[in-house]
Amino acid sequence: MSCPLDGVARTSEEPPAHVAGARRTVLGLEPRFIAIGIAGGVLSGLLGVGGGIVMVPLLVLWAAYGQRDAHALSLGAIIPISLASVITYGAAGKVHYGEAVALAVGAVAGARVGAGALARIDERQLKLVFGVFLAAVGVLMLVRS
Amino acid sequence: MNGVTLFAALVAFGVLTGVTSGLLGVGGGTLMVPFLTLAAGFSQHAAEATSLLVVLPTAIVGSLVLRRRGVGDLGLALRFGTLGAAGGVVGALLALALPGHVLKIVFACFLLLVSVRLVRDSLVAE
Repeated sequence: MSCPLDGVARTSEEPPAHVAGARRTVLGLEPRFIAIGIAGGVLSGLLGVGGGIVMVPLLVLWAAYGQRDAHALSLGAIIPISLASVITYGAAGKVHYGEAVALAVGAVAGARVGAGALARIDERQLKLVFGVFLAAVGVLMLVRS
Repeated sequence: MNGVTLFAALVAFGVLTGVTSGLLGVGGGTLMVPFLTLAAGFSQHAAEATSLLVVLPTAIVGSLVLRRRGVGDLGLALRFGTLGAAGGVVGALLALALPGHVLKIVFACFLLLVSVRLVRDSLVAE
């Protein structure tokens, strides 16, 4: 597999998509955001991940966002994406509600702490932490496949 | 595990997931799906469905905290996320129909490439 990211990264010499603003289409969004949203959504539903793992790299490397803003945008985009996915799965009768409630009680409390930390953390540290996280996820996926 | 112990373990794991989610802007399914399959004995499909239900309130609460702190742009995020939701429906239906082995291997390679780049940038950039 060649490295697609090298090609992607070079396009970041163009102005960031949110600044260019010339070709507005669906929902007033730049084509790049449309592509990132759809890619995040499909992989989210397909792999059972929230989509942030796809969207954060694309927002940073392709849409030229700062690391911190990319993580915040990704988290916001996950709201409608996970809503649609859970409705789809709910219709298929696969959700275990008791376990979901217990996990959500902890996760909501944890999210306040984590988001507060994102607002303060140094961006280089954030890149490093996220890079290590992605590497761990990648290795885990390879091992389990 | 009895009911109370299991509930406590799930809440504790939820905290870990939530902190990761808020800090890294990911849903947390990456952590929850392996946990639910390996530790709680869920099927892959049940783990993915249950994890998505937890991701939703987690992302809402984290996003509200970030909005208050002026980080990111929640309006923009919700708009491109809405578009992504259409993709999410397609992806979820595909997941119910496909084993997804090959795709996971390709995706894992993509993640490893991104991680190398991020770590390199964090160590090299001024």
